[in-house]
Amino acid sequence: MVADTLPVTGGVGDTGAPRRGRARVLFRHLGTPIAIAAALGVLYLWVHGLKLDSIERRTLNYTYMHDRVIEHFKLTLIASVIIVVIAIPLGVVVSRPRARWVSPVILGLSNLGQAIPSIGVLVLLTIKFGVGFKIAMIGLVAYGVLPVLRNTMVGIQQVDPALVEAARGMGMTRLQVLLSVELRLAVPVILAGLRTALVLTVGVATLATFVNAGGLGDMIVNGIKLSRHPVLITGGVLTCCIAFLVDWLGSLAEDVLRPRGLS
Amino acid sequence: MFENSDGGVRIELRELTKRYPGQTAPAVDAVSLDVPAGELVVFVGPSGCGKTTTMKMINRLIEPTSGEIRIGDEDVLRMRPDDLRRHVGYVIQQIGLFPHLTIAQNVGVVPKLLGWSKAKINDRVDELLGLVGLDAADFRSRYPRQLSGGQQQRVGVARALAADPPVMLMDEPFGATDPITREHLQNEFLRLQRELRKTIIFVTHDFEEAIKLGDRIAVLREGSHIAQYDRPARILSAPADDYVAGFIGTAGTLKRLALITVEEARTAGDGPEGTAGLPEVEATATLREALDAMVAHGTEEVAAVSGDVRHRLTYQDICQAINSESREVEPSGG
Ligand SMILES: Nc1ncnc2c1ncn2[C@@H]1O[C@H](COP(=O)(O)OP(=O)(O)OP(=O)(O)O)[C@@H](O)[C@H]1O
Ligand SMILES: [Mg+2]
Repeated sequence: MVADTLPVTGGVGDTGAPRRGRARVLFRHLGTPIAIAAALGVLYLWVHGLKLDSIERRTLNYTYMHDRVIEHFKLTLIASVIIVVIAIPLGVVVSRPRARWVSPVILGLSNLGQAIPSIGVLVLLTIKFGVGFKIAMIGLVAYGVLPVLRNTMVGIQQVDPALVEAARGMGMTRLQVLLSVELRLAVPVILAGLRTALVLTVGVATLATFVNAGGLGDMIVNGIKLSRHPVLITGGVLTCCIAFLVDWLGSLAEDVLRPRGLS
Repeated sequence: MFENSDGGVRIELRELTKRYPGQTAPAVDAVSLDVPAGELVVFVGPSGCGKTTTMKMINRLIEPTSGEIRIGDEDVLRMRPDDLRRHVGYVIQQIGLFPHLTIAQNVGVVPKLLGWSKAKINDRVDELLGLVGLDAADFRSRYPRQLSGGQQQRVGVARALAADPPVMLMDEPFGATDPITREHLQNEFLRLQRELRKTIIFVTHDFEEAIKLGDRIAVLREGSHIAQYDRPARILSAPADDYVAGFIGTAGTLKRLALITVEEARTAGDGPEGTAGLPEVEATATLREALDAMVAHGTEEVAAVSGDVRHRLTYQDICQAINSESREVEPSGG
């Protein structure tokens, strides 16, 4: 249940030999930004060396790309905030013993959700509600909520019931148990879900272009429509870089926020 | 809460009953029991007989269907459960240390809930770790997974003692440890309890453990019915019925060995002569341990050591002690 959403990081063995472990963690955290910088550098040099025509020049310039990147970040960030605000409290609610019967439903839905193509969802939304930033946002949130919801639920459910009993037995209130035991121990699983959702969102946000909500999808789609490969490739590489960046931030957060003392 | 919290207070159960929804027979059926202040009472009985259920009703992790519980002079069922639990120590079999908290934070949970100052909690944590035989400087800032099973058990006990509750509930607290560690923990726990004199309800499967630790033992059958409630020596020498006798097993005599210390068995005549070279046991050890030492070394004599004082203990002394013990007890049985 958990394993398929847990990314490889932070799972095994970085506790054995502290010093070597720390070096490895540092190395892992350095690797991604270096790779991103390298990719962007290569892209820049390559585009710089090309003879661009007027159509290409209209998109492959600083202002245009800056605006698309900002739009893309905005889509992703706002969607993420909404996802967190919806999915984590909901996950807590459905993890309560009284709501246990909901969990198979959530698990089923989240598997189904991953199988439904995102473009289909956007098209359906557009047919029903028209185009615009809000519609894009609804699509993005609908996509991202499920992994976070599921991981919040599973993360809390996998907390050892003996710990909850010990906490209750010592006189913690239900809220205290939730906040200082259950959620704390679920942090790694919740963050893993969040990281998955964010990376997913960066990718799905390229489809925002179909509902006129901008983002790097504009470049990709223009590149395809006008068969301007440099435009297409630049859009694609920029999207990838953002995805990796977000994933990298996620891994940082997992290492920083993971409660110390967990193996 | 609970007057007279220096030492323990008395626990009374009256017609305590728990019927789980959808079950015909109650899991705990009208149990009445008095636990005198400062005594350790062990619940033994087969799996599923209702030991845990009975115990958890006392701190209201399980709400009784009917009946009364009093701790000291307080009616437990009238108290706020969270308040109650902060004043009743609780140790579970799985230990249940919080993996994300340090040892010091784990021990400090209840004091923190009670709003003690940081400095007071710190002092108390150091004191308690010392009490259970862990070096505070070394262990405070470790995490539970950096401790052995036995060390975790000790922290579990320290955590339950943190706010100095007059009453402790312990559900198979040494269950998950190997026999040697278990024996060690039992010995230390006995030493601690002699000092602290808490009122303790202790659940176990292990009759030997019951004999060793209990001031009294309650032998339970299905539905938490009390088959016999008495001092260990009396249960061994005068089991109330076949059920209890069956529970003790055939090795009753051998188990009695664990009740008598070497010191108590020593006969006046045996001085320090001829003890050189003999295997040594502590004077506070039980006759079972003395017998162990004899078997291990292939001798019929051991030296009982208490500081500088040594005396000889023979196989005959042990036989005599056992027989006189049962003579002392039996006439008053019934
Ligand atoms: N939450 C529950 N709901 C329904 N029945 C329960 C519940 N908890 C325990 N029981 C039943 O009540 C009876 C007593 O259980 P309890 O846990 O008190 O036994 P126990 O003496 O502690 O056993 P063990 O030695 O195995 O721990 C058992 O038959 C058990 O199946
Ligand atoms: Mg039990």
